[in-house]
This record gives sequence, C-alpha cells and structure tokens, in this order.
Amino acid sequence: MTIRGQKLTLIDFVIFACVVAAIGYVAYRVENVLIYKWDWSAIPSYLFRWDEATGSLIPNLLIKGLVTTIRITFWTMLVASIIDVVLGIARTSSRLFPRLVSWAYVEFIRNIPPVPFLFLFYFFIASQVMPLLGIDDAIRDMSPGTKVVAELLFGPANLISNFASGVVSLSMMAAAYIAEIVRAGVLAVPKGQLEAGHSIGLSHLQSMRYIVLPQAVARVVPPLAGQFITLIKDSSLVALISIQELSFLAMEIAISEQRFFEVWIVTGAMYFVVCYSCALVFGRLERRIGVHRR
Amino acid sequence: MAVPRPRARRVRWWKSKPFDVAQFTLLTGLVVWLTWRGAAGMEYRWQWHRLPQYFYEIIDGELLWGPLVYGLMVTIEIAAWGMVLALIIGLITAILRLSDSFAGRIVSTVYLEIIRNTPLLVQVSIFYFVLQPILGINNPIWTGILCLAFFEGTFASEIMRAGINSVPRGQWEAGSTIGLSRTKTYIYIILPQAIPLMLPPLTGIMVNLIKHSAILSFIAVFELTTEARNLIGDTFMSFEVWFVVGPMYLILTISLSTLVGWMERRVRARQ
Repeated sequence: MTIRGQKLTLIDFVIFACVVAAIGYVAYRVENVLIYKWDWSAIPSYLFRWDEATGSLIPNLLIKGLVTTIRITFWTMLVASIIDVVLGIARTSSRLFPRLVSWAYVEFIRNIPPVPFLFLFYFFIASQVMPLLGIDDAIRDMSPGTKVVAELLFGPANLISNFASGVVSLSMMAAAYIAEIVRAGVLAVPKGQLEAGHSIGLSHLQSMRYIVLPQAVARVVPPLAGQFITLIKDSSLVALISIQELSFLAMEIAISEQRFFEVWIVTGAMYFVVCYSCALVFGRLERRIGVHRR
Repeated sequence: MAVPRPRARRVRWWKSKPFDVAQFTLLTGLVVWLTWRGAAGMEYRWQWHRLPQYFYEIIDGELLWGPLVYGLMVTIEIAAWGMVLALIIGLITAILRLSDSFAGRIVSTVYLEIIRNTPLLVQVSIFYFVLQPILGINNPIWTGILCLAFFEGTFASEIMRAGINSVPRGQWEAGSTIGLSRTKTYIYIILPQAIPLMLPPLTGIMVNLIKHSAILSFIAVFELTTEARNLIGDTFMSFEVWFVVGPMYLILTISLSTLVGWMERRVRARQ
C-alpha cells in the first residue's frame, strides 16, 4: 500500500494501531469511567461576545488575554534588545570588569529557575523600584488622549505598573539567552573579515558596522525568531504573578465555569495556532535569507 | 628593512586585572548593600535565626528533616525520574524521525510540534486538569514528572538526532560494506561515535529539568518552590526564604552546568 508515493510497511500499521488504541483508551476513560459531559457552549462567548450597547461583536476575555500575551512578548523583545546592546558591548570589551559583570549576569539568569526568579523579582525589586519610578502617579495625571494611547500600548491603565514589572523580569531572563545567540553569531564571522576591514582602512567601528554585523545578522536572525516564539510561550509564566494574560484568564475561566477540559484544550490550541503560524512565517523568512546569503 | 616592534606597554594600575576584579567585588557588595537598605527601608525584620529549624530539627536527640530539605529531595527526585523518562521518550522519537516509516515520522512530528508550540505552563495544566483524571494518576508528582518528561523529551530527541546525523555518511556505508545489518551498524559503528557527542547536551537537560520543576509548584507538587511559598505563607520571612532557596537551586544547577562544560571540553579535546 502507498500514500503519496510513500510505501507503507508493517511497522507503519503497528504505529497507527498504537495511536488508535491510545486515543480509544482515552475516549473510553472519558465516556465510561469519568462519565464526563462535554459542554463547549460557554467557550465561544469567552472568545467574542455580543455587546448590547454598540450592537456589535467585541472580543471577550480569552481574546483579550491573547492580545495581552502578544503585547507582553512585543515589549519584552524590545526591552531585552536594549539590555542586550549593553550586554553585548560589555562582553566584547577589552577590559575584564565589564566582561565579568556580563558573565555573572548571564550565568546567574541561565542557572536560576524562572519561577523563583519571577517571585524574587516581583516581590522585592518591583515593589520597591516601581513606586520609585512614579509610574502610577504618571498614569493618574495623564490626559484622556494620552491615556487611550497608553492603554493601546500597555493594556488597562490601572494594571500598567504590574504589566511593567512582568515585562522587565521577562526581558531580564530573555536577554541572557539572546546574548548567547548574538555572541555565537558574531563569533561565527571569521576573524579574517574584521582584519580585511582594517586593512582597507576602515576603523574598528566601521568594520563592525559594514562588514561583521551584516554577516552576523544573517546567522542570528533564525535563532532569534525561535527566541521570539519561546518568549510567547514563556510569557505565560507571568500568570503566576497575576498578570492578566491568556493563561491567567484561562485559569480563572476554568475555575468559574468548572470546565477544566474544554478551557485548557482551547487555550492550548490558541497558543499553538499563534506559535505555529509564527514558526511557519519565520521558516519562510529564513529560507529567503539563506537564498540571499548564497 | 626593520619592522618596528610594537613597544610593550606598561599596564597602568587602573587597567590591571586585579583592579577589575576589585571593581567587580565592589559592585557585588553594592548590590547586596542596596538589597539590605531596601529591606531596611521597608522596615523589614530579619529573622535568620528562625531559618535553620526549617532545614532540620533535633527533637529528643532525633534528627528530623525540615520542609526545605524535603522540598529539595522531591525536586531531585522529579529531575531524576524526569531524566530517565525524557531519555526514553527522546530515543523513541529520534528513532521514529530517522526511520523510513511514514507513520513514525508523522507521529513524531505531531508530538514535537505540539510540545514546541505550547507553553510549559499550559502543558502542565492540561496534564493536571485533563490527563490526570483521564488516566487515573492518583499522585500529582507523577503527573508533573510525566509532563516534564514529555517536554524535555523533545530536546532529548533533537540532541540524539543531531548526534546521529553528525556521524559521517561514509561510516554507514562502511558498515554495510563489511556486511553489517542496519541495526548492527547502529550498535557497533554509529552509536559509539555519536554518544560521546550527545552526552554533554543530554546532561544539560538535567539542568533544565531542575529549573522547570519549579513550575510544578502551580499544581501542588511539594517540591522546593512550593515548600518555599508555603513557608513564606506561614512565617512571612519572604526575604530569608527566597535568599536561601535561590542559592539552593543555583548550587544544583551551577555544579551540573560546570560538569557539562568540562565534558564539552573533553569531547572537543578528543576530536
């Protein structure tokens, strides 16, 4: 037997049989042992609901959560890049001191589990630094016009300082990983390239700018794109410090509706759709860059 | 023509290595001092003397371990079992992916894509709220171990696949030339060359398992982070507990990371 030119052997049928048996067992347990009544009716209204006031469909909690998740990811990527510029300069410095600091930072972040780090950061640093920065006061004194823009960018005004501490802690973690990727990319450019730059009379900065970095970028973009997907996934961790993104809202809806199966399956599917489509887009981009390089 | 030799420059003291190390020490001191000042600013009362009893207590001459030690044990237990299962799952997936079997590649790809494109927290929730009742697992710790094993299994399979692929094609051909079957080529020619390459990154999975086991505090598995949070709830010594639990994790992970680094250098030296 063949499918699309693929020959099917006995092993294929054994594997298919195993999968079917596993699905059958799960279905049997759900129907006959747990006697679970599936009820998907509540889910659509959590995605979109009918607004009586405006007479149109508006996004409800799950979609709002997804938007917050994407917002967090976007800002985290931005803040992490800024930290990375500093880290990158420190790591390539000829002096030992900046290299020591960046090494200590990267090793610390890479070895501490994310969850304790989030708690440490949230309770000690955020609770002291955020009031110091005066974000809450700034929001209170904003004009209505700026407020609309701020809400579009950062989410509900009353939760902005909460949002900020989540973004900062996530970016501190992401920066350590991105720093490694960028370092590998720069190191992968042969030393001769930099020397070639020097020999045609470019300064160190110019040879970096015109010769090394363009080559490094092509090597760095694919793993960076992967890092972006990792960030979408890792942003679910800030649910543990009560930031209202997709996982947190899913948790609340599951408890209030008592529909754990349906809500978690839908939430998982939502993350999957977003991350997988990102992966497909990045894969295509990567192939383009690959063509360009050749 | 004499090429002018670069003059050996005298290193000024503020550019010397000891000075850089001194600066670094000073910065570390500054961070500690700022934390301490911050705590003082919150009028925090340090109660370090109350902490040892949560590690161990001696009652009537008998040594009783405290919650933090139990938490650490559970974390290590999760990491150990998770490692065994992740290796098994990774091996099966890698074999299926590298095989000629159509079904094998579909099953492994679906598994990899699902795990890679959903957050670990959501996976933990699905394992705990959906699969645990369905499969009738009665201990959340096993739900946690299973979930982590499936999660890390994707990395393990990727490492194994890369390791096997890094063995040159000629080695396969050499195997079939001397009349070995596919399985025998694997056992006698490919794996002995691939396994040394795989060992360092596979040990790295252990570091990840310890780090990610903290997420299981979300589903009432009594590992180190859960015990720490409970302890803070009981005693309100949040600073002391986190400043002790953090280094406990760091000691575990950094010693493993150092081991990985040492193994990598050895593998590179042998090549």
